[in-house]
Amino acid sequence: MANNNLAKVAAVVGVGNTDYRGDWTRVRAGEKPRDSVGYAADAFKIALADSGLRKSDIDGLIVGPTTAYDRMGEVLGLDVKWGGQGDAMLSVIQAVMAINAGLCETVACVYGNNQRSAAVNYGGDNAVGGGNFLSYVYHAPWGFTSQGALYAMMFRRYMEESGLTSAELAEVSVAQRLHSSITPHALMQKRITVEDYLASNFVCEPLHLYDYCLVNDGGVAFIITTADRAKTMGGRAVPIHGVGRHDLNSGATSMIPRLTNFYLPAQQAVAAQVFDMAGVGPEDMDCLQIYDSFSCHIPLALEGYGYCKVGEAGKFMRETGISVEKGLPVNTAGGHLSESYMQGWAHQVEAVRQVRGECGARQVPDCNFAHYSSDVAGKAVSIIYGK
Amino acid sequence: MGISKIVMGLDDKPMWASIERGAMELQKCGECGEFRYPPAPVCPHDLSADATWTPVSDKGTILSWVIFHKQYFEDHVPPYNSVAIQLEEGPIVVSQLQGDEPEGSWIGQRVELIYAEHAGRTQHFARWLKPQAA
Repeated sequence: MANNNLAKVAAVVGVGNTDYRGDWTRVRAGEKPRDSVGYAADAFKIALADSGLRKSDIDGLIVGPTTAYDRMGEVLGLDVKWGGQGDAMLSVIQAVMAINAGLCETVACVYGNNQRSAAVNYGGDNAVGGGNFLSYVYHAPWGFTSQGALYAMMFRRYMEESGLTSAELAEVSVAQRLHSSITPHALMQKRITVEDYLASNFVCEPLHLYDYCLVNDGGVAFIITTADRAKTMGGRAVPIHGVGRHDLNSGATSMIPRLTNFYLPAQQAVAAQVFDMAGVGPEDMDCLQIYDSFSCHIPLALEGYGYCKVGEAGKFMRETGISVEKGLPVNTAGGHLSESYMQGWAHQVEAVRQVRGECGARQVPDCNFAHYSSDVAGKAVSIIYGK
Repeated sequence: MGISKIVMGLDDKPMWASIERGAMELQKCGECGEFRYPPAPVCPHDLSADATWTPVSDKGTILSWVIFHKQYFEDHVPPYNSVAIQLEEGPIVVSQLQGDEPEGSWIGQRVELIYAEHAGRTQHFARWLKPQAA
């Protein structure tokens, strides 16, 4: 049964991000420009200015997982009617739900992360995330650590089953480097070739260095308000047409869904939910923003959301293409691999900017719809932004 | 960089004690008979807390494998492998293949768990069960 309860009840009216490249340069020079709260505060100021709203208009606050809600609200001086904490995708969905429920009208979603300057480790004996995801730490006695290794284990099996080659997986890194090279705020400004990819070191084989996300500092914020209010704010509001979520928690630590179905059932369930809610299909999407802590998220999402047949993502990426130059553009600012690792937050901003049509050299022509998806550890989430 | 550590939750203790004795035991649900891993307070199928610690056969099949080229732990020096093994009893465990390695794909190869000292503890590793020549 169609469920369009949350379709177009809310819209993004302001987006902002810190100067990722500037932060990167300063951090690599040994500076600590900001802590996580500081980056988030910088981004919030930019998003607020972008929206044209005043701080007193904000009556809801959702804070990313890397800063404490209480301190974030204190620093920004925001007393609100609705508050909470969530990752990038859940902050959007929670904001839509709170607005739909009438609990508040205008929500600021803010995120800051000093992971580079604070030397956060994603693998080894002090790997982050183990408190929330047992699979990140449980297999350490056998040296099996890091989220990259979990995806390497998953994708090795996928490659053996589907026949997808390393050269086909390279299409992801190559396309996203092309995108970041024409995105002024992106970290990686130099293009790479399939040959560069294949010559790069393995981190956890079969994944190469270029399959891994960056680790850098920065902040992102966006402001979401009611569709009615958005209509009074000029033409730059981007309505949220659909949201969906489906989680595979059973067997998460022993990697049953990872290794036996590559999270495909979760993505297919979310695809049905989100496209149904939005009243559109994959053929209507003009660009995709896919959570890419590792390159292999992209082929799996292309299959899971019906952009190509199951088992044919390698061929799709090679023949149809996934760049602004050819085919269906994916991660048009470079994504986590090449723009900035903002844990999905920057992907929302890029989706909004593409629909607004303000992306310059990387702009997808006539972008009516941008589809965001993530499948972090089997939690599949999807959001459709559109005109 | 530190030494790799066991995650020792309350329910993990009997399993690691059995590994220390050189014969891994997992919980077998008293209601539906399924084995579960990691150890847990209830069966995920029927929520029954009734379970018996039962030795596993130590035999299984490789579902996937990776080779680490980056070092994360003092006690695991690259290149080294990790393998995901589906035990005959059903659960998937991660281990490390020692000794001879299959040529080409490791998926579907049969292995047997062995027990050895590592970083001051006993843990399992895996040994390839080479297919018998026809």
